[in-house]
Amino acid sequence: MKTRIAISGLIVAVFVCAPVSHPFARGDDFETVVKMIEQFYHVKHQSIPFLARAGMKAAKTAARIRGGDYRRLAEAGSVRVAFFEDQEFNSRGRMAGFKAAMKTTLEQDWSALVQTLAPKDEEQNYIYLRAAGQKFHVLIVTIDRREATVVQATIAPDVLAKLLKDPNEMGKTLTQDATTSDP
Amino acid sequence: MKTLFRIAWKLAPVGLVLAGVVSTANGQGARLQIDQLDSLANKASETVDVRLDERLMLSAVRIFDKDKDDAEIRDLLKGLKGIYVKSFTFEKEGEYSQAEVDTVLSQLRGSAWSKIVSVRSRKGSDNVEVYLMMQGDQIEGLAVISAEPKELTVVNIVGPVNLEKLSKLEGQFGVPDLGIEQVKPKKNR
Repeated sequence: MKTRIAISGLIVAVFVCAPVSHPFARGDDFETVVKMIEQFYHVKHQSIPFLARAGMKAAKTAARIRGGDYRRLAEAGSVRVAFFEDQEFNSRGRMAGFKAAMKTTLEQDWSALVQTLAPKDEEQNYIYLRAAGQKFHVLIVTIDRREATVVQATIAPDVLAKLLKDPNEMGKTLTQDATTSDP
Repeated sequence: MKTLFRIAWKLAPVGLVLAGVVSTANGQGARLQIDQLDSLANKASETVDVRLDERLMLSAVRIFDKDKDDAEIRDLLKGLKGIYVKSFTFEKEGEYSQAEVDTVLSQLRGSAWSKIVSVRSRKGSDNVEVYLMMQGDQIEGLAVISAEPKELTVVNIVGPVNLEKLSKLEGQFGVPDLGIEQVKPKKNR
């Protein structure tokens, strides 16, 4: 009897703890990073209304790359964006501390590809990557004096190749594409 | 016999742990500890930190494997276990100390690393030092330290680097353009 109860309990526990099948479900690091920015800088992110998001280009649909060619950068429907607009981002000389906190939060699952800091201008850029089957997840955090953006997207191997070759430029392109509306 | 087996059974976990430590040490031998430099980020006007760790390197080789145009890059990356770059730019001179540079140099001196004079910077700077870690004929890793008055850059490449093609990495994969070139020995007349 006790064994049966134990087995039933185990089955229930397995179902309760089973991970949800979702592309970003390996711990919601996107949300964690957004909350981390909110707590560190005492700011609040703005959520984008669904209809406004539907009109966004790039990340979801296509992106204009120099010369006017359209090319897919992120997989359709894979993008999550959090904006922080018109707020003060003052690290009060503790920018290295924020970088360390990012590392602690993400290092288990993600590889930190590039991190650039410019304390005088309160500018920070972080690009983190992790494998997702045949594709890759990219997490890009951009912070400057008055605004910040957190973008998480699924990218194909050819986009990763470009990102590895020129991380800064491609990181900017991905962020721009995820945050620019269609003309 | 039974006693021997019992002792072996008890020691097995210790052996496994030791084996793990040894294999990690071999794989990471050319990996320098450079995270202690992160404290300079608060003084620097700009900090760039690039880490292509082993996970990313494996993905990179797989990606470039599919593209014929990238054959050269693929060859260059094959076997590499990591590329790590830290670069700090300062507004004024004297913002970093020799002691901070020594935290990296001390790992290179008196160890498996040797300073090489056959590789230098095209920029003509005397402040660029290049070190190699060798295992027999095989290069296990490379370290470049560029300590300019207003700029400190450390590049650490783990794995068999092709010195002749090293310059191809500059400006890509976050590796700064240090103007590294291999000096060919002068012929005696």
